[in-house]
Amino acid sequence: MENLKESELVIRAKEGDPTAFENLVERNYMLVYTISYKWCGTKEDAEDVTQEVFMKLSKNILYFKEESTFQTWLYRIAINTAKDLAKMNERKRKKESAYIEERKTSIQQQKESSLAERVHQMIENLPQKLKETAFLVFSEGMNHKEAAAILNCAEKTVSWRVFQAKRALKRNLERGESL
Amino acid sequence: MKDEEINKILQGVEIPEPDEIKKKATIKAVMTEFHQQKLSLQKNFKGIEEERRLRGKTKTFFTFLGEFAMKKSFIITGGATALVALLVVYFSVFMGPSLMMRVSTEQEPVSQSAGGRAEIRERDEAEKNEGVPRHDTFVDDSILEELIVKKLPVNPTEQRELGSVTAKADKETEGFTDADSLKNPSIIATKPMRSMAKTMAKRRPESAGRGASYSLQAPADDYRSNEYKDVGRDKFETIVTNPLKLVSEEPVSTFSVDVDTASYAFVRRQLNNGVLPQKNAVRVEEMINYFDYDYSVPADKSRPFQPTTALYQTPWNPDTRLLHIGIKGYDIVPEEKPVSNLVFLIDVSGSMNSHDKLPLLKNSFRLLVNTLDEDDTVSIVVYAGAAGTVLEPTKGNERGKILAALDQLQAGGSTAGGEGVRKAYELAEANFTKDGLNRVILATDGDFNVGIRDPEELKSFVERKRETGIFLSVLGFGQGNYHDALMQKLAQNGNGNAAYIDNLNEARKVLVDEASSTLFTIAKDVKIQIEFNPKLVAEYRLIGYESRMLKREDFNNDKVDAGDIGSGHSVTAIYEITPSTSKGKLVDDLRYSDKEEQAATTGSMEGEYAYLKIRYKLPDSEKSELLQTPINRENEYSRIDQVPADIRFAASVAAFGQLLRGGTFTAQFTYGDVIKLAESATGKDPYGYRHEFINLVRLAGSIR
Repeated sequence: MENLKESELVIRAKEGDPTAFENLVERNYMLVYTISYKWCGTKEDAEDVTQEVFMKLSKNILYFKEESTFQTWLYRIAINTAKDLAKMNERKRKKESAYIEERKTSIQQQKESSLAERVHQMIENLPQKLKETAFLVFSEGMNHKEAAAILNCAEKTVSWRVFQAKRALKRNLERGESL
Repeated sequence: MKDEEINKILQGVEIPEPDEIKKKATIKAVMTEFHQQKLSLQKNFKGIEEERRLRGKTKTFFTFLGEFAMKKSFIITGGATALVALLVVYFSVFMGPSLMMRVSTEQEPVSQSAGGRAEIRERDEAEKNEGVPRHDTFVDDSILEELIVKKLPVNPTEQRELGSVTAKADKETEGFTDADSLKNPSIIATKPMRSMAKTMAKRRPESAGRGASYSLQAPADDYRSNEYKDVGRDKFETIVTNPLKLVSEEPVSTFSVDVDTASYAFVRRQLNNGVLPQKNAVRVEEMINYFDYDYSVPADKSRPFQPTTALYQTPWNPDTRLLHIGIKGYDIVPEEKPVSNLVFLIDVSGSMNSHDKLPLLKNSFRLLVNTLDEDDTVSIVVYAGAAGTVLEPTKGNERGKILAALDQLQAGGSTAGGEGVRKAYELAEANFTKDGLNRVILATDGDFNVGIRDPEELKSFVERKRETGIFLSVLGFGQGNYHDALMQKLAQNGNGNAAYIDNLNEARKVLVDEASSTLFTIAKDVKIQIEFNPKLVAEYRLIGYESRMLKREDFNNDKVDAGDIGSGHSVTAIYEITPSTSKGKLVDDLRYSDKEEQAATTGSMEGEYAYLKIRYKLPDSEKSELLQTPINRENEYSRIDQVPADIRFAASVAAFGQLLRGGTFTAQFTYGDVIKLAESATGKDPYGYRHEFINLVRLAGSIR
């Protein structure tokens, strides 16, 4: 089981083989956790997202159609789950009255923080679509085609979004430096 | 800023190691979910289309056709109808006359020679052997089949298959020449219409049968092989059936009572699912004790019970006797019910997310809550990823509040059982009622994967808490992850009982009908010791109670924990004994034994089979009391039909339990015999439990 190829594991898992499935989960745990961490930024959230992703996987693997590769599919689930969690957190945060206060302090902190943290913060603040594209291309080091497969859109769209994201980042950084 | 810089910054994020425990919990939860999915898929299995997809077979021309058919069903149906119409027209107009002619000429030389018949048989054989119907070079056969087949409503799967048949038939039609019939005249000649009709008639059911066998066989290699026994994560302690003992070597048998009923409910569930339970899930004593028996009941609390004994011929072995010992606890009249302080400790972890777990649990507690009144208090503690109090102690008559709190519960996360147990005991202690009943009711599927994870540690925690006067009841739910061993351990050490809830009826039985016995303990640490008289009894064997055996010296040691009896609980123990005069002894007499010594009993002890001693403690006492009574010929029945029905019924349950465990000692006794025995002994059976039992035996018989 250990030395089987992932695609074979997927086929076996789809047939309902529990050991194959467990193996698949074990193998991809770090991958999903890493994606989730990069997206969420905290360990706790990342772990929650990871659990949720695998729950979704177990619900759907039996119906996985192999229209895309397994990894692409997993990425897609992971990103969508992370997005959902982010949305939920956002909603929660909005409810809290201290939101504005928090925002102010975070801007103040920004000045003192390192360039890396600032870049992160900026990606975080990009519009959803740009954010997920930037995330896949910059952070996961994917080429535009791969990202397009995951995001379920045309390669050109990815290229365009990357361009926009970069522009926005640069603009923000320059503005930050000039401040 | 350059792209590379951004990339470098983003890719160089430091990622903390994920938590191992959390990872394990995730994998566990995920596997449970996977399992559930598989089960539900198995239930909703809809034939080959899904099966092909599940197997991950690559796309073929036919799957393509199938998908096309699903997406464009209108076009397909229209097209098919048009095609059929065209073919009908074509054959009736152009081929019709020539066909008719050929058939009529063919039918003339129906010589029905012996050789011809043999040929038919051979052909039929060949067809059978090949499995797939052979497509003869018979134009009329294939045409007719095509016509018939086309007009029958077919599902997309068959339609695809038929596509190939049609194509083949078409080819054959084209390929058909008179030369063929000339070359092989005997075939044509000996194949009259009747046999064709027969082949076709056969062929339809065959293809129908094929369809059916897909849905039957496909699960067979995909899922059935993975059924309960292979993948079950239910954990049971291994039970080694009590061996036969020689009275001359070990005249005394000691055990603790057990009022749990979990095993019966679990067995019932398995049988209802069409699976024989695994042997270790069958605890015979729990099956026997599931039923209420009409034993004589003592008059007051100070002497909480009195034993009923009987001796009669073993239904499954004419050479031995059954010694039946029944105890029924003093039954509290409803007005006397003590004030109760209940803490529901509810597992809401991810694994509880199944219709037979959390929803059933909520309904079960609803039943219980409806029986409470204002003196009683209820609190609810839940545990999942973290433990928390959902309902602070609330009076029993504030039902709305309690029920609302129950309703809000949702399953999700891993299981911090240990933490939850602690919190529940804290609440129970905070709200302790001195003369009342203080009990933690734990409802779970038995999964404790966070917090105190070591069963031993949990066990000793519960054991320590027992001394504070708080009792523990364990209600088991669900399947696939059921941790029976741990739950038994907890209940046994927490002065409590364990029940398995497989449906709402069982919940009603445990929490409402028998609430008094489940909840109100009338005697603690009840131990039974029996000494057999070697003069009359040669061998004995205790049926069940494997996990409850005690050492001989434990009987008088009040420090040794044993089972508790609730109000109205009945406990039954059955020994199979071999009289010393019997021919059916399994162990031969010793050649060099001193026969004289055995005849030592004299006087009043003459005619005593055994001497029964029961030790118990009253709920608030730490010192045990002793009850003793001889079992002599007065308790003996010479014919089985004189034995009270209740006792006979217990024997039938004992027989059933032993059969499920492999039936080492039950000789030729069959499920049929169990049914006969039980049917003669159903008694009043107001709730229908005994009739249900008979049905279960029937099920078990048919599964085998």
